Amino acid sequence: MSKYIIRRLLSLIPTMFIIVTLSFFLIRFAPGGPFSSEKKVPEQVLQNLMRKYHMDEPMGKQYLRYLGDVLRGDFGPSFRYRDSTVNELIADSLPNSIVLGTFALFCATLAGIGVGIISSLKQNRWQDYTAMSIAVVGISVPLFVIGPVLQLVFAMKLHWLPLSGWITGRDGLKAMVLPALTLSFPYFAYIARLSRASLLEVLRSDYVRTARAKGLPERVVIVKHVLKGGLLPIVSYLGPAFSGIITGSIVVESVFAIPGVGRIFVQSALNRDYTLIMGEVIVYSLILVAMNFIVDIVYGFLDPRIAYK
Amino acid sequence: MSRKISKTVNEFNQQLKPISLWADAWKRLRRNRMALISLWIVVFYAIIALAAPILPFFDYRIQNLDHTNLPPSFRPAGQLAIEKLKSQITILKERVDSGMDTLKPDLERAEQELTVAKDELISNPENKKVYIFGTDNLGRDMLAKTIYGARISMLVGFIGTLTAVLVGVILGAISGYVGGWLDNLLMRFVDIMYGLPYMLIVIILMAMFRKEGQSSIVILFVGIALVSWLTIARVVRGQIISLKNSEFVEAARSMGAGPGRIIFRHLLPNALGVIIVFTSLSLPSFIMNESFLSFLGMGVSAPLSSWGSLVSEGANTMELYPWQLLAPAIEMTIFLFCMNFLGDGLRDALDPQSKNRT
Amino acid sequence: MTDEVILQVKDLKTYFTVDEGVVKAVDGVSFDLRKGETLGIVGESGSGKSVTNLSVINMIPSPPGRIAGGQVLFHDKDLLKIPLSEIHHIRGNKISMIFQDPMTSLNPFLRISTQMIETIVLHQGLDKKAAKEKAIEMLKLAGIPAPEKRIDQYPHQFSGGMRQRVMIAMSLSCNPEILIADEPTSALDVTIQAQILEIMKELTKRLGTAVILITHSLGVVAGTCDTLCVMYAGRIVERGPTDVIFSEPKHPYTIGLIRSVPRLDKENTERLYSIQGQPPNVIDLPDCCPFYPRCEKAMDICRKKYPTATKFENGRSVSCWLYSEEKK
Repeated sequence: MSKYIIRRLLSLIPTMFIIVTLSFFLIRFAPGGPFSSEKKVPEQVLQNLMRKYHMDEPMGKQYLRYLGDVLRGDFGPSFRYRDSTVNELIADSLPNSIVLGTFALFCATLAGIGVGIISSLKQNRWQDYTAMSIAVVGISVPLFVIGPVLQLVFAMKLHWLPLSGWITGRDGLKAMVLPALTLSFPYFAYIARLSRASLLEVLRSDYVRTARAKGLPERVVIVKHVLKGGLLPIVSYLGPAFSGIITGSIVVESVFAIPGVGRIFVQSALNRDYTLIMGEVIVYSLILVAMNFIVDIVYGFLDPRIAYK
Repeated sequence: MSRKISKTVNEFNQQLKPISLWADAWKRLRRNRMALISLWIVVFYAIIALAAPILPFFDYRIQNLDHTNLPPSFRPAGQLAIEKLKSQITILKERVDSGMDTLKPDLERAEQELTVAKDELISNPENKKVYIFGTDNLGRDMLAKTIYGARISMLVGFIGTLTAVLVGVILGAISGYVGGWLDNLLMRFVDIMYGLPYMLIVIILMAMFRKEGQSSIVILFVGIALVSWLTIARVVRGQIISLKNSEFVEAARSMGAGPGRIIFRHLLPNALGVIIVFTSLSLPSFIMNESFLSFLGMGVSAPLSSWGSLVSEGANTMELYPWQLLAPAIEMTIFLFCMNFLGDGLRDALDPQSKNRT
Repeated sequence: MTDEVILQVKDLKTYFTVDEGVVKAVDGVSFDLRKGETLGIVGESGSGKSVTNLSVINMIPSPPGRIAGGQVLFHDKDLLKIPLSEIHHIRGNKISMIFQDPMTSLNPFLRISTQMIETIVLHQGLDKKAAKEKAIEMLKLAGIPAPEKRIDQYPHQFSGGMRQRVMIAMSLSCNPEILIADEPTSALDVTIQAQILEIMKELTKRLGTAVILITHSLGVVAGTCDTLCVMYAGRIVERGPTDVIFSEPKHPYTIGLIRSVPRLDKENTERLYSIQGQPPNVIDLPDCCPFYPRCEKAMDICRKKYPTATKFENGRSVSCWLYSEEKK
């Protein structure tokens, strides 16, 4: 078991390394520089700026310098928003993204598992068909369609919920409903389908047949024997789900005007704000890699075939 | 390779109908009503998208400033334009009456336009047009726009998926067959790629590498295809590995078949079922990714439009003109919905005991 | 083995509906089981042996299957007609079943202790502690070394043979009257097979359990069963005491089966014998003797009607036109 944990930990490092390196060089090699979109700056000022941000040094040296800074936890100043550092910008917006993302994933998992269980027990009956049809809609409709449509219906026409904004604003918690609903919908759908399929497979397995042959009442068979094995794949899915939530939050934050990291991500890419993008990519990747790691470890604890080698 | 299927009789004098793998799969697919309906809908979309230039629709580029922002209707555009002007005038009148004199010139202009419109109602043939999906802010037909959007989206999806599948199948097959360090390397690479928030990297790519005004379709392909081949490669590799020690492979090898021939003539045809299923499920995923990028403003750029950019535009005006959002949104949703149902149905038909079900 | 009959299966029919038609997996099977008797059911794959036994405890998945007729009388109560709640008291308690593949028959996510204790607590009303002691005792009887330690382990920590011992221990822990063993050794190595059969024989003799042993191996039957039923295409074609059937087989299929077993004690100058042809596809079989295409002694009537059963002394019976008085 500890070997398993160590192996997982060790794979973190090359992954992070590759991400940082890849992003760094990708961004630097893109056409145009961080200052090319601004008004024509005089040559002297440009040179000073370049020197200030160390852009006059050879690429390799810039890279090593950046690596050193990152390891110390300093992401540098924003190229675009000259008065703030990247650390400040990210620290302000990250908590909002995390709250939204975690809440959305939590709802999606709970609802998805519940629906999946009901569907598998009532296979091929109307509960199953309805649930699975809704699930297919969930995986078919893109987030940027769900978001605006929900806004149209619930905010503009029915006036039940606020159009945009965040819980820090005047609408409080109500502002989180629509964005969380939007963000969670595709993952709820996927988890529902996944748990249904997995539970059905377990229901047909030999060991459930043994449990029934032992005379256990069906309720006990399901709760004690079916659920544990059937729901384990969901744990594995949470890793990629988190990755999707991160990507999805970019859209949802833009649509609902939520002050999170996602919303500034697109702008920083278009602005070629090198340090800000790098900072965002590293933070996102770190979160993702950490989540995957945690998910792997939790899975290892839950599956006795790994926990007890 | 055609095989004659003849009817034979067993020892009890019962008729036996041997059935080929594909016929069996087709039979199973036919029984799945939802999948069948989805198939016809997808085919319908494909036909319309392909034939769009020759169909009697209005050109999506034609602008008609008399017909801006008209709601969807079966009535002729001229009447709708008049109604719009009338309601505008009513609002302006109210405001002017309540004391907003600065709006007086607007009110007069509107009343003049109304007179002109009424005159031209019969004389101008343009006014007889029917916009069943409404128009946008430049008077362009939403139906035409969404159809052309569909063309682009489906084109991107199709070509992108094909590329991803090709790359994935070849790499996965070689990796699975050859095994050893090559396989290890490739799978490590796939694992790491899986762990990356690749959409972020794609966004960065798109933002960095696009040139203003130029159509960025190629970069779009490269970006999305870069990550789409991962799943196919893994799946094909898995199939190849489970098949490569079968007896028919040994037989082929003993007859002198080289690895290339074995992979392409013997192993891959057996993996075809899985490949088809994943292709049909990759297509909607590809389209979703493309429209995601377009929505953020990083996909196809004007004058081309895809479903993603249409939804993006529509989202801006949805309070006043909701049809501009709903038309592309619903059209896109239906297509993706059907593709997913079709993919599910294909998987049930070709691979009923699949462990890859979700 | 006494003369008290505890189980009577009468004309059991279990059908499965598939796209191509109706599969009559079990089509009129009858047999009796006495207290303490070991009954063997022998047949090829697809002959209906497993389905027969699943039907006895009413565990046929439906759809697509259904029990289409017949009775299963356990102490004169028809198991096919009693409500579900009563059947739960019988399964695992009075009639236990073990399956072929020990690798997949145990829940990989639960400890052995959990899986064994739940049965004992459910059926015998003991508390957890007492149940665990009973389980450990059963494991010891089944030949598991250091059972107190191993009982808290998970199934994947046991080898195949060990797992089947655990299954046997688990199924006998409530002292059932009947143990149904569905090909318990087919998935194991030959050397382990012998051990498992020994353990089964020993334990069931000690506890006085009657056994229905399903297998496709005549060797297994010869060593363990008092009575033997030979099944073909969903029906029992011959029945009787094992040694009598082996020395004097009557049905051509039985004769063929016994001849097919290679003998070490005879000089092998001829080719190995095998019954020509293939077992039938049991979908929509016409009314005939299903063995007739492969039978060396087939007659005209064999093609037209299923033979009636002819009874002999010793509880023997054969379904074959060769012996039937009703030959026309």
